[in-house]
Amino acid sequence: MSQYLYIALMFVGIYGLLSQKNILKMIISLNIMELGLNLFIISTGYINDAKAPIILFGNEGNYVDPLPQAIVLTAIVIGLGVTAVALMLARNIYKTYGTYEIDEIRGENDD
Amino acid sequence: MINPVLLIAIPLLAAFISVLLKKLSMVLLFGVSIFTAISGFFLQKGMFMIGGWKPPFGINLMIDDYSFIIIIVINLLFFITLLSGMWDLKKNKTILMVILAGINGLVMTGDLFNLFVFLEIITISGYILAASSGKYYSVFKYLVLGTVGSSLYLFGIMVLYGTLGTLNMADIAQHVPDISNGVKLISLTFIFAGLGVEAKLLPFNAWVKGIYGNTTPLTGPLFSTVFATAAIAVFGRVFGQILVPDSTIVFAFIALGLITFIFAEASAMASKKLRELLTFSSIGQAGLIITMFLIGGFYAALIQLINNAFAKTILFSYAAKAYKSNGNDSIDNMSGLFRKNVMLGFGFTVATLSLIGLPLFFGFYAKISMLQSAFAVNMWIPAFIILGSLIEGIYYIRLLVKLWNPGVEGQESSELVQSQFVIKNGFSLSLIAVLIGILFVVSGIIPDFLTENISKAADSLSDAATYLSTVLGGI
Repeated sequence: MSQYLYIALMFVGIYGLLSQKNILKMIISLNIMELGLNLFIISTGYINDAKAPIILFGNEGNYVDPLPQAIVLTAIVIGLGVTAVALMLARNIYKTYGTYEIDEIRGENDD
Repeated sequence: MINPVLLIAIPLLAAFISVLLKKLSMVLLFGVSIFTAISGFFLQKGMFMIGGWKPPFGINLMIDDYSFIIIIVINLLFFITLLSGMWDLKKNKTILMVILAGINGLVMTGDLFNLFVFLEIITISGYILAASSGKYYSVFKYLVLGTVGSSLYLFGIMVLYGTLGTLNMADIAQHVPDISNGVKLISLTFIFAGLGVEAKLLPFNAWVKGIYGNTTPLTGPLFSTVFATAAIAVFGRVFGQILVPDSTIVFAFIALGLITFIFAEASAMASKKLRELLTFSSIGQAGLIITMFLIGGFYAALIQLINNAFAKTILFSYAAKAYKSNGNDSIDNMSGLFRKNVMLGFGFTVATLSLIGLPLFFGFYAKISMLQSAFAVNMWIPAFIILGSLIEGIYYIRLLVKLWNPGVEGQESSELVQSQFVIKNGFSLSLIAVLIGILFVVSGIIPDFLTENISKAADSLSDAATYLSTVLGGI
């Protein structure tokens, strides 16, 4: 049942993206959304009373699904890369316009 | 015969070497690009396992006739893009090699999560390349939409994984009829939204104007042809072969595609700047091609995809070059510019006429086969296609008349009121324009070679059984 909580966390992130006007807060919302997604992916591989998927002697019984964990590892790295690029853009926006508020940024296409 | 893994591995290896040896990066970039452009023709067809794991358990690459022709087109276009943007490469050479690896992997891969990874590789590289235009706020909008889109895509494929326990495309295609309608609806909708961001469909395309409208001679053809062709080709693979939507939801998707087409063409009609006009035209073509994929006209979709890709290369290179040389790309100021650059004007005119589908050019076969496959479905889809094509024809012909005739619209034109605009460093671009223009004319008169290969590719896309048995045959 915890999946619904993680999906709710994803939508908290999307709500943040829609409602916030500050670029840094938008980047944080993006991270919250990715966090909810990663937790949801982990939860798809969960089996009750199962062990970590490491095969040892004498370690019998069910294992949880290792594939979602591998996928989340990749997704975390990708999320880190996106955050790094987003922060680079935020820094450059601040250098160009002197503000992080998107209301105060003049249109870029009216040259 | 060349192993398709090399098309991903060699550009990646060269990208890492170019970080260490900066002086060699120019040589490496052109060498790798020439290698992939040539080896695309000699690619070994079939299924390739990575790391010795058999398909439902491991990742596989799939070269059928469909991905074969897309690989050839994309790698050729990438090379043409490099030639046209030769003066704008600057420090982007490493990123370009990573993009080359990413697009090849995107088209060839047979695994839905692997597709997500390659999609992220090309979009993150795309953010960095787009940031070189200096319009950081537009790039930030692209980043937010692109990240939300790929997260939705990942969510969709994880819902599928939770239900079916597999991420392999062929295995999923085999089991899709078994899953319940609710799961299918949720996962298809999220995957559609995720791929729709890259394919520029209407509710998800707010980023396109800021990115395509501010392109340099390098990023213009790269985004509008290489990225767009790869994204739409993947869209065709996923929704034409793997996750075929059932009849209730497919009409919602077709409606989105057609709305994209009509609205984008109407916006292009009202544009006063060349790059903005071409941007909206690109969005419209994407909507049209995706509609064709969804109604099952794979042949029509592929032939228009290739026609649009080659035409937009010249159009965007020219528009970005004109902006770079003069600091402005307003159409009114460009009147009569082709009088100074006749070679470029010839290529541009032929590409435009082929794009709107006039007879004698290659695009005519695209338009006629699109209408044929649309009429085979029902009567209202072709009505929208004809309406959109009519709007497209009007604004492109008006653009051509303006670009060939000096002076203000509505007054008598003469050579005395020549445009002040010039094209700097335009020789390589003129050469490419003439070559592609001749290609359009020749393939318009003798289309057999191209249409045969394209129809083979379309057949392999519609033949899901062969795809399944090729990938899963070993089990």
